[in-house]
Amino acid sequence: MSNRLRVLAALAALPLAWPLAEANAQAKYPHQTVTLVTHSSAGGGSDVFLRELARHLGPAMGVNFVVENVSGGSGAKAMARMAKAPPDGSVFYATTPTYIQTTLLSKPEVGYTALEPVATVFLDPEVVYTRVESPHKTLAAVIEDAKKNPGKAKWGAANPASLERIALERLMRKTGVKAAVVSHEGGGQLMINVLNGTLDIGIGEIQEIRAQLDAGKVRILATLTDKRLDQFPEVATAREQGIDLVVTKFRGLAGPKGIDPKAAAAIGDGIKAVLASPAYKKEYLKENLVVAFMPHAEAVKFTGGFAKEVEASLQEFGLLKK
Amino acid sequence: MSAVAAAWAALTGGWAIPAAFAGVVWGIFGGALPGISPSIAMALLLPFTYGMDPIPAVVLLASVYVGAEYGGSIPAILIRTPGTNSAMATILDGYEMNRQGKGGEALGISLVSGLVGGLFGLVVLALFTEPLARVALAFTPPAYFALGILGLSVVASLSGGSLVKGLIAALLGLMIATVGTDPVSGVSRFTAGAPELLGGIRPILVMVGLFAVSELMIQVGEPDWAKADVRDTRLKLPGRATWKRMIRPHSIGAVIGTVEGVTPGAGGTIAAFMSYNEAKRWSRHPEEFGRGSVEGVAAPEAANNVVTATALVPLLGLGIPGSNSAAILLGGFLIHGMQPGPMLFERNPEVVYALYGGLLVANVAMLLVGLVILGPCLWLVNRPKPYLIAFILALVMSGIYSIEQSFFDVGLTLAAGVAGYFMRWVGLPFLPMVLGVVLGYLVESNYRRSLVLSSGDHAIFVQDKVSLALLLAAVLLAGWSLLRDLRTRSGKARAAGGAPS
Repeated sequence: MSNRLRVLAALAALPLAWPLAEANAQAKYPHQTVTLVTHSSAGGGSDVFLRELARHLGPAMGVNFVVENVSGGSGAKAMARMAKAPPDGSVFYATTPTYIQTTLLSKPEVGYTALEPVATVFLDPEVVYTRVESPHKTLAAVIEDAKKNPGKAKWGAANPASLERIALERLMRKTGVKAAVVSHEGGGQLMINVLNGTLDIGIGEIQEIRAQLDAGKVRILATLTDKRLDQFPEVATAREQGIDLVVTKFRGLAGPKGIDPKAAAAIGDGIKAVLASPAYKKEYLKENLVVAFMPHAEAVKFTGGFAKEVEASLQEFGLLKK
Repeated sequence: MSAVAAAWAALTGGWAIPAAFAGVVWGIFGGALPGISPSIAMALLLPFTYGMDPIPAVVLLASVYVGAEYGGSIPAILIRTPGTNSAMATILDGYEMNRQGKGGEALGISLVSGLVGGLFGLVVLALFTEPLARVALAFTPPAYFALGILGLSVVASLSGGSLVKGLIAALLGLMIATVGTDPVSGVSRFTAGAPELLGGIRPILVMVGLFAVSELMIQVGEPDWAKADVRDTRLKLPGRATWKRMIRPHSIGAVIGTVEGVTPGAGGTIAAFMSYNEAKRWSRHPEEFGRGSVEGVAAPEAANNVVTATALVPLLGLGIPGSNSAAILLGGFLIHGMQPGPMLFERNPEVVYALYGGLLVANVAMLLVGLVILGPCLWLVNRPKPYLIAFILALVMSGIYSIEQSFFDVGLTLAAGVAGYFMRWVGLPFLPMVLGVVLGYLVESNYRRSLVLSSGDHAIFVQDKVSLALLLAAVLLAGWSLLRDLRTRSGKARAAGGAPS
């Protein structure tokens, strides 16, 4: 479309855009309908993230967002779907560390390198927790105890080869403790084994343990974040307890490789603006999400570095051949 | 009591009762369609609940589950194809009854058994959610392993004659279950580079292929199919004598459905098979089983409807979904900002009580809808065979496709169908294979998890009390079946030897 045509089209669309113009002074986004692809099925983590983002971002940008669930293959199918999409800003994918891990471990035909991060939006804070019957109040105490009783420590993560599993392996290296690291098929099973005392500690997102936490059945021992969480100011970070362990479980958006930088910038600006809106803020704070906004260039750099780090960890723990 | 009052108001004033009826109708149709499991039928509706109020949304989803468990028995009885996984046990005697011209009675038994089971399960759910939720906590990894072994020991009784052939089929099933992502290390196994196989081969594909597709292949090769058997079929509610015979299987189904329902990971399919087995063992007429026994239909159909309610115990009590269907319902709760778990009873008690009320309505609705919905089903079965087979095949394929919008799955199902055709040819039974596929992952992952916990020491399986009890039960079950097998065989041999022609 030539420039003159574009101006004409914009003029023609002006009456339609009138109610939106007040809400959004920026240039109109080039696509009326934008598809948001996720590997999670309806009701899953990324699905909820996209639907809530779309509900606030849609009116703000004047764009109709449609969520498409391409589940299966731990993200492999969704990545294959993205590789076929035009890089014009009409299709985005909800990123989490999952798509990088799937690429590294399962080596599907289309991997994370076929996608280009457009923005990171949130961090899901990860915590280490135990049941309330446990004598320990901090992660440092658990580590201390494990050092005194070698061969007895039992730690659990929700899924094999997940970010959480890697974090536990790193915890072992950093503290010099030898523990049995048990992976499960999802957070539910992990929770049972923490509650019945099979495991000393579990690791997971706050959202996953929310119900048991509110009921007073589990206790958070440490947050694996840079800073203490606003909702749990009394819980010290692992770092404060002398254990240098931070887990960055990010949520963001990516487009197909070579995405139109203008579209990427527009989406980034839109997200940045909507993150500050009180209505959205109320919702994501309720879910304990921490804002970690990075625009296009920064997100690309961060994701690349993150992938390298995960790859190195997987190789170190023998899950991946060099 | 104010929460109960609020629940009553929500149930009677809003859309909850229509939602329960709609859910049951959708569930029966979904359950009757081979390939659409209860969880799929629920998942198809999940997107539509986004815009609904929380109570009708949750009631709708739970009602689909109730309806689907009855719906699944319709094709199981009429066309020997399980509409749902848990209706597989119903085929054994239900289809046999149909062949003897008693299809209407079999359907009536299935319907009332479902009602009895559903109501019993509801009582269990309402009265014992909190105490029963603790049963789930007793299940450590070794206990789950033992549970899987107990399930597999059913092979001995389900192999239909030859124990060796049953074991071969079970082993093949276990091998299929190893495809996918390694449960401990997370690396991919036997996937041949196909991303579709990373999540493993879903049991539903194997089941539908083995049972439905291979049956259709065989039907195509056979000249006729006796229409007269079903033309006069009316759903016949059981009479007093039949009710009397059903007391025992219903009790067995109620107990097993309760235990399996509250135990995450077990579910309706295993409950149905186990109660079929136990009903046979405790029956006064075990010889009728497999030849159109009333009890053989009543026990599994009661059990799988008990599970529709009791599977919600760990979900509501602990926030832990024990089955696919419960996971979808969890999704329904989460969409509306409610977190199932102990706090749900304190935060949203009206939703919990309204769900109980909704389930009650759904069970009654199942009886009413079940009485009238059969007409269309019977009409369907009486269509000319070529049309029907083409139609069923189309339904099966579209059902399979709709799970993940994947043609790969359709291909897998067809492949399983061809495999099933040859298995029939060499006389390998399907049920042990299906059990292997269903339980393989549970057994393997918990076996390895236990060994990680014990640093490789197998003693963990006898040190854990639940595990020990379940393993002993498995040994007893297998040994008892083997003994019975040998005795009947030697009895037969003696009879044959004693009466030479």
